[in-house]
Amino acid sequence: MSVVAHLPHRSLSLTEEEAAQPPSMELTGRRRMSPADRGLSQTLYEEFHQDPRYHEYVLGCLNCGECTTGCPAARFYDFSPREMLQIAATGDATTLWDALQEKIWSCCQCYTCNMRCRFGNDIAGIISVMRELSVRHGLEATRKTLAPFGRSLTLLMTVGTQVSADMIQPDFFRDWGPFATGSDQVWGVSPEVMRKAIPLDVLQTTRSSWEVSVQTSLELFRIYEETGVLDMLRGLDPDLTEMLVDIIEERREEFREAREKYRDELITMKGPVASFEG
Amino acid sequence: MNPVLVVGGGPAGLSAAAELASLGAEALLVEKEGYLGGNPKRWHYSLLAPDLKPAEEVLGDLLGKVEGNPRVEVRLGTSVTAVDPAPPGFRVTLQGGKGPEGREVSAVILATGFDHFDSRRKFEYGYGRYPDVLDFKELEGMIHDDKVLRPSDGKPPKRIAWVLCVGSRDLQVGNPWCCRMGCVVSIKQAVEIRQKHPEMEAFVYYMDIRTYGLWEDLYWKSMQQYGVKFIRGRIGQITLAEGGKRLLATGEDTLLSRPTEVPFDMVVLASGMEPGQGTKRMAELFHLPVGPEGFITPKISDINPVDSGVPGLYLAGAATGPKAIPDSVTEGMGAALRAYQHARR
Ligand code: SF4
Ligand code: SF4
Ligand code: SF4
Repeated sequence: MSVVAHLPHRSLSLTEEEAAQPPSMELTGRRRMSPADRGLSQTLYEEFHQDPRYHEYVLGCLNCGECTTGCPAARFYDFSPREMLQIAATGDATTLWDALQEKIWSCCQCYTCNMRCRFGNDIAGIISVMRELSVRHGLEATRKTLAPFGRSLTLLMTVGTQVSADMIQPDFFRDWGPFATGSDQVWGVSPEVMRKAIPLDVLQTTRSSWEVSVQTSLELFRIYEETGVLDMLRGLDPDLTEMLVDIIEERREEFREAREKYRDELITMKGPVASFEG
Repeated sequence: MNPVLVVGGGPAGLSAAAELASLGAEALLVEKEGYLGGNPKRWHYSLLAPDLKPAEEVLGDLLGKVEGNPRVEVRLGTSVTAVDPAPPGFRVTLQGGKGPEGREVSAVILATGFDHFDSRRKFEYGYGRYPDVLDFKELEGMIHDDKVLRPSDGKPPKRIAWVLCVGSRDLQVGNPWCCRMGCVVSIKQAVEIRQKHPEMEAFVYYMDIRTYGLWEDLYWKSMQQYGVKFIRGRIGQITLAEGGKRLLATGEDTLLSRPTEVPFDMVVLASGMEPGQGTKRMAELFHLPVGPEGFITPKISDINPVDSGVPGLYLAGAATGPKAIPDSVTEGMGAALRAYQHARR
């Protein structure tokens, strides 16, 4: 066994292979991991730090906690953007691994933390880089965490939105807390006034806002294909991916039929409409 | 020998003028305000950290050497509006009550100091909107007069919070530097209040406590002897609570890693130091280089912080960066000596 394995803060039962893992700046007293997980955690760590966005998003941290002050997730979960920034900056692969299991999914990507940060970090951005990492590698925990969100994901992938204006009501967003949509103190104006600012024709549109044009759906899907999002998702949830492919195939078919039917009008139309056929 | 022009009547300028006089030179002390003593005088600083000596005593000592000194000509309410080189010195135009006046001077010392950060710019703290959110320079005056009362209802506060680094270490307001004084002055204020009013609770919200050097003692004592409480984290917003009667300070306790919301009767903002208006104007007038922060950059700041690089032009005090009074006084002496050497040559 290597000398490293005998250091007092480690479990003495580390295997040869575990002890031989290239050390990052490890924290003491870490728990045991299977060699496979340890290897993967190291890969994830390296990939994360090589992401070109890393150095753009993680600049440094005063640990002031102002990002946490405005974070809706921090109020309800054992989670804080400051902690995420610390995890992003740590040299300990195991800490990153732990966060990738579940914590990263507490964030609702509202970007309030970014607006608060006095150091100019892109905290919400680095959290989404972590999410990409965990999805790309199809982590078991990620699979489990995201399983209940199949419906939201399906809407997002096929329609591009899962929230419509009339859903912005306290009942829909209990996790935002009692004041989020009900208080003048938070917004400076009452929700009634805010709602007046929303154009009438987009209010009460739970249905219509999900009825996007077929071109929009096809364009969205084309983007997911071209940017590799679909492949990423396939690794995580092949069944859902197949379902999405089916839905979009139907739409493509719909589009082909429509094109056939209205061929004459389409020929006179300008622009790249026809190219979303896929 | 023509007099040496000293621009600015705060601690650094007073010290420079007093030192010139003691060397046997003439000093022309120009101050744009109608009084001498600079920011400590303007805001009625109470006790000065770390020795807790009354500001009046410290200033009084300096003022005594300047006011009525036959070698120091004091010009209040006066600014320097133009300058031309007249080797080995300068020809300057002064603008006071009675219109422009040209003067020949043998050297110039810029002691134009700092301005307190305008806390209204941190709109999330509600300074200027909520009467019980104070700037710590205002609390200085209250402590000085022993009238620590809530401006909203005139009642003594039961629980007071200090928010450190307001307008300092903050890229969003464009001030990434440290003010050097906010920590020690806030802790000193908390100690003063706990000494006189042990029934008032004192909480200090901090990111780092920078009571550098021997001032660390005050930090320790504030906990050991005076029970001042320290919470690690910067307050992110202040709102009203309890029907507008109290203030609610929201932030993160970064040691416990939980968001916190605590009601206070009074919140005190430790506003940072920015280059003074006079500093900016003189930097332009004398074509001096300023750093990204807007303070004047000495030629070789590590071995000669009072030398501007222009022969006959010297710098002292917070014109070159946030500075404590003892440091400003020392630089005033150094600049006086250099100006004297130049004028004698
Ligand atoms: S983006 Fe995420 S971490 Fe940032 S404030 Fe919103 S929920 Fe919190
Ligand atoms: S606001 Fe920025 S500097 Fe402050 S704790 Fe959060 S990430 Fe760090
Ligand atoms: S001296 Fe203290 S209060 Fe002032 S900026 Fe530095 S750390 Fe903040």
